[in-house]
Amino acid sequence: MSAPRNAAEAARALEAQRRWFALTPPEGVEIRFEVATLAARFGAQLLDILITVIGALALTILIALTAFQVGDAALIVFSLMTLLIRAPYYIASELFWNGQTLGKKALRLRVLSADGRGLTTQAVVIRNLLKEVEVFMPGTLLLGAGGLSPFWLVVMLIWIAIVLAVPLFNRQRLRLGDILGHTIVVQEPKPVLLPDLADQAVDREFVFSPDQLEHYGRFELETLETFLRSHPLSTAPVEPDSAVVSIARQIIRKIGYKDPVPVHRMLAFLHAFYKAQRAFLEGRQMLGDVRDDKHHNQ
Amino acid sequence: MSEQPHLRSTRFRAEREADWQRLENLVARAEQSGIRSLTLVEAQSLAGLYRKAATGLSVARDISLDRSLRDYLESLVARAFLAVYAPRENVSGVVVRFFVSSGPRAMRECALSVTMAFFALFLGAILAYLLYAEDTAWFYTFIPGDLAGNRTPDASTETLRSTLFDGDINMAGQLGAFAAYLFSHNTRVALFAFALGVFACVPSFILTMYNGLILGAFFGLFAERGLGYELFGWLSIHGVTELSAIAIAAGGGFHMGRAVLFPGALSRKDALRASARPAAKLAVIAALMLFVAGLLEGFARQLVQDTELRLLIGWGIGALWLAWFTLGGRRSSS
Repeated sequence: MSAPRNAAEAARALEAQRRWFALTPPEGVEIRFEVATLAARFGAQLLDILITVIGALALTILIALTAFQVGDAALIVFSLMTLLIRAPYYIASELFWNGQTLGKKALRLRVLSADGRGLTTQAVVIRNLLKEVEVFMPGTLLLGAGGLSPFWLVVMLIWIAIVLAVPLFNRQRLRLGDILGHTIVVQEPKPVLLPDLADQAVDREFVFSPDQLEHYGRFELETLETFLRSHPLSTAPVEPDSAVVSIARQIIRKIGYKDPVPVHRMLAFLHAFYKAQRAFLEGRQMLGDVRDDKHHNQ
Repeated sequence: MSEQPHLRSTRFRAEREADWQRLENLVARAEQSGIRSLTLVEAQSLAGLYRKAATGLSVARDISLDRSLRDYLESLVARAFLAVYAPRENVSGVVVRFFVSSGPRAMRECALSVTMAFFALFLGAILAYLLYAEDTAWFYTFIPGDLAGNRTPDASTETLRSTLFDGDINMAGQLGAFAAYLFSHNTRVALFAFALGVFACVPSFILTMYNGLILGAFFGLFAERGLGYELFGWLSIHGVTELSAIAIAAGGGFHMGRAVLFPGALSRKDALRASARPAAKLAVIAALMLFVAGLLEGFARQLVQDTELRLLIGWGIGALWLAWFTLGGRRSSS
């Protein structure tokens, strides 16, 4: 019986890897957001950099076409334009689009105020000013807009290395700007309402005694729920060697279900068992007896 | 099969599902075309439905073992929260508020920190001036080669004079010079004086004082050749604004450093957060001033070759800054 247990442990380990952030709005009901992954944030950042670079390029060309002879100074004028539009772009988009730049929109990320109130102008300005200080200005200087002496070069490199390491060392992936502005970047929640599995008529042929429902807890119930969502009652006839059969057999053995269940009835059995088990566990929970998993009475 | 009894959690869901759907639609519309696109009644029902859904979520956490329902409610409430608590700002409101009240107020709030920064700057300048008077070799200690250019103790007085008055006016060159200026030494110093203030003020103090040292050494050199007054004029036209910008940026750094050193009743993290608010405004002011200084240095200094006029412009603009900082946002906004 070690294989399913390992699978359960694997599922739990996977769940534990997701990082959650809970904030408490004035209504007092805690709301959970999933912390954005570093990869997603990096992707959003790349997109935003691309957008600002294209914008700055367009401005530089515009200037070159009109009043000024840019000539040799083209690169440095371009750097100047980048500097002029970058921070305002980030600040304005996060402020007016509720915490989303175009890059964050594309990757479904959002900036939140960590105190459970709305984003304030101050928080947005702080986190984006710090972004300039953290990465962009040193980066621009490194890329050669300033003609750096070796001393400054090393200072910049060390600075960037430290700053980029900050999000790795805290659980909520905060960078310096997030810490000072009291903000956090989260994955955008996506509400999808699935039908209620317990809201369907199930076979009355299957009857479970309270003894038989003592064995499992919330975790097993939710695992079964996930499985049954991909195997609704209306699915084609049950194959003899399918997962449905092996799961049903295992449950029958574990709870000691006496009546014989033919193979073609096993999916109906699972749905009936799900509903009975959920009713039982919810009833226990109402009485204060929360059963997290099958090890609840150990 | 006859009618079966429903679970409590199933009934709970059935009773509220219509409200959740309405909330979902309202939130989707608010996200798509902004909260302003909702009518007053709709906006009110958005807030009401959000509160009901939040209550529903807390009940569902207690009574329902339907994972998908809880996940749905978590997401729905989170999304509705974002729509309800979205910042309602507009560009002109933010900009006007900064210039009219919050900017100068932040300056006054950080007055002590900014004074500290000016003190560091002057301390460095006086120190370098005195040391240079002792021994001119100090010049090379304080000033990096790329910054000094041909302005060294070995240069002739004529060369030094020519660095102060060169009337080369062409717009292409000016724009390049302006851009180059913004990435120059002083911007770097301002940036790091601000950012490194978090580390208990020490790096900011050293950087600001170092900038003062450079200033003092230059001054010593030019004063020795009888060009002290001319240098003062040359420096004043943009330097009043530029050096103030450095001091203000460093002042922002000091303000955060002081919060780390002396957090008072708050935790260090909270004290730092609280101090970051005025400090960020100081950084914005400093950036603005560096921009103005860049315009002055790139354009005005070459156009104005008269020392008196340079002094007048430089200190006149300095007085305007000071007036903004001391007088702006005095009236209580009610």
